Amino acid sequence: MVSLKSHPPIDPTLPTWIADLQHSAAAALADLSMPSPKLEEWRYVDLGFDVGTFGMAAKGQPSSLDIPFRSEVGALAVTDGGIAELVNELPTGVSFGSVRRSGEDYVAERFGAGIPGGRDVFTAIHQAFADDGAFLHISSGTAVAEPFTLEISATQSGMISLPHLTVVVEDNAEASAIVYFTSEEDVEAVVLSQVEVTIGKNSHFKLTVVQQWGDKTRAVADVAYTMADNATGTFTEIGLGGAYSRIRFDAKLVGNGSHMEIVGAYFGDSDQVLDYRYFLDHIGVGTTSNMFLKGAVEDDAESVFTGMIRIEEGAQKANAHQTNRNLILSDGASAQSVPNLEILANDVRCGHGSTMGPLDKDQRYYLMSRGLDKAQADRLQVKGFFEEALVKVPHQQIRDELRIAINDKFVAAQSEGRV
Amino acid sequence: MSLALSVRSLEAKIGDLQILKGVDLEVPAGEVHVLMGPNGSGKSTLCHVLTGKDDYQATGAILVDGVDVSDMAVDERARAGVFQAFQYPIQIGGVLLGELMDEMAEASPDAAAFRARTAAAVETLHMEPFMDRAVNDELSGGEKKRSEMLQLAAVQPKIAVLDEIDSGLDIDAVREVAELVERLRSPELGVLLITHYSRILRYMKPDRVHVMIDGRVVKSGGIEVAEELESSGYDELRKRFGPRPVDEEDDFLADL
Repeated sequence: MVSLKSHPPIDPTLPTWIADLQHSAAAALADLSMPSPKLEEWRYVDLGFDVGTFGMAAKGQPSSLDIPFRSEVGALAVTDGGIAELVNELPTGVSFGSVRRSGEDYVAERFGAGIPGGRDVFTAIHQAFADDGAFLHISSGTAVAEPFTLEISATQSGMISLPHLTVVVEDNAEASAIVYFTSEEDVEAVVLSQVEVTIGKNSHFKLTVVQQWGDKTRAVADVAYTMADNATGTFTEIGLGGAYSRIRFDAKLVGNGSHMEIVGAYFGDSDQVLDYRYFLDHIGVGTTSNMFLKGAVEDDAESVFTGMIRIEEGAQKANAHQTNRNLILSDGASAQSVPNLEILANDVRCGHGSTMGPLDKDQRYYLMSRGLDKAQADRLQVKGFFEEALVKVPHQQIRDELRIAINDKFVAAQSEGRV
Repeated sequence: MSLALSVRSLEAKIGDLQILKGVDLEVPAGEVHVLMGPNGSGKSTLCHVLTGKDDYQATGAILVDGVDVSDMAVDERARAGVFQAFQYPIQIGGVLLGELMDEMAEASPDAAAFRARTAAAVETLHMEPFMDRAVNDELSGGEKKRSEMLQLAAVQPKIAVLDEIDSGLDIDAVREVAELVERLRSPELGVLLITHYSRILRYMKPDRVHVMIDGRVVKSGGIEVAEELESSGYDELRKRFGPRPVDEEDDFLADL
């Protein structure tokens, strides 16, 4: 069992930059417990588990990738936190591998720097115990068209794993990555992951997460972006699996003219809880952001979206928009949608919109008047609902796979009479 | 002569509001009939009641090619041969017209024949560029009507109910739609075209014109009926068949 209160002695063979992180996170952890739904950032959800009852997973030794789309340029597998480089014909100017094996200074500087270890019990456990992670480094002036892929999986019931990805994109560079989160059905694991991304001047980085955790896995993911002048960050998440799956996303638009693009599509069934908390901080002049998320819930599933856009005093000419649309497909299902704005500058443009409801009656009537039965009409409507988000997925290679996954999920609900 | 559509004593209400008050109407196969009437006379309600929209409580008989469809759900009626071209075709974001036509083919009794008719109509109507666009999304009024006509041609219904397909169109588009209706004429198809302007009739040759006032068909005849309406308007018919003017004194007492 993990003892949250007394951290084991720190491994003397660890590099100092990991040991230091573990030290300070372990100190923070001593005062932390499972978050209360009274805290704003944890409102609306009942976590339904106690992380203190789980043990720490032994690192896996992945030997194959089990994902539908695998990069030709660089692919890593991370199983229960153990990292293997499985396809590695890296382009010039790119490093992609384990932080421990790299030993580079820029990795030491960035590892764990994006997410505060003492923010909550999960970030603290992650930083107190993580002793390795994956990193992707793109040198200045390097552009790679094909996405890198990572398969992050959990295999051990009753155990916690701590996958970590650090991305550093230097100036005038461009790259993208697809991360798959997978576990088998019935694996009762807890996965506390962290992804930190730093994007340099005039650079563009796109990260796409395909979340397909098994139905008993609980996952808390912390993602943080920091952006320099004229940097563009893209974050896309397709959330399909998990008993409980959370993403806490923070972007700091520090550089003038930096831009953040967020796209999401999520679909919860049975008693899944899908929990999204987005925090965007506009700091530089002329920073822009666009958030577009579409979610559906059926059966007894719950989803939560909270979006906080903060425009700092100096962030004049900022332009920020957030949209969250929800389909409620069964009586027992529920969705929360809470867009927020906090504006401290006076010359900005901001907007937000949020909707929720069942499938549109007029659309159903029109489709059925064309001879489609109700099941066929509903399927087409659900397809149309998600399509608006799926067309924004940056990788054409995975769009069809995602369409099929969403359709399969809805068809299963239809055939079991849940919708 | 077989009847594509036969409607007898059709009444419909929405909540407590009676809209159709006993409609009798016959459209033989092979003919094009026009139903005219002022705003609020119940024309669009008739379209939706024929299509089976469940917002209305309806009584009476609706026979399509001799088959009573009045207890059928919307999709069953469609498969039994009812097709409505909508006045305001519903936008379905994220669903391409090509995908919709595929799904309609799957739902039809002979998918291969349906696909062949679709391909032919796409060509005649010059709809190729629209097959990869979302259904009725960001289309002009005329484009939406062409999309409805494409679906009509592919479906090959027994009775086509065209609800104000001339509304919101410029004069060239009205002529185009009228010509399409004439081109679709076939011995197996009855057409009921609903309009409140006689403009579209300049470009087509209807077999019969019906006039609806206050939820009933009050007059039927040849093209001359439309010509009379063109010059005299609906006022004369409204006076004879419209709702009884409200008696102000009764109204006053009711308020007490």
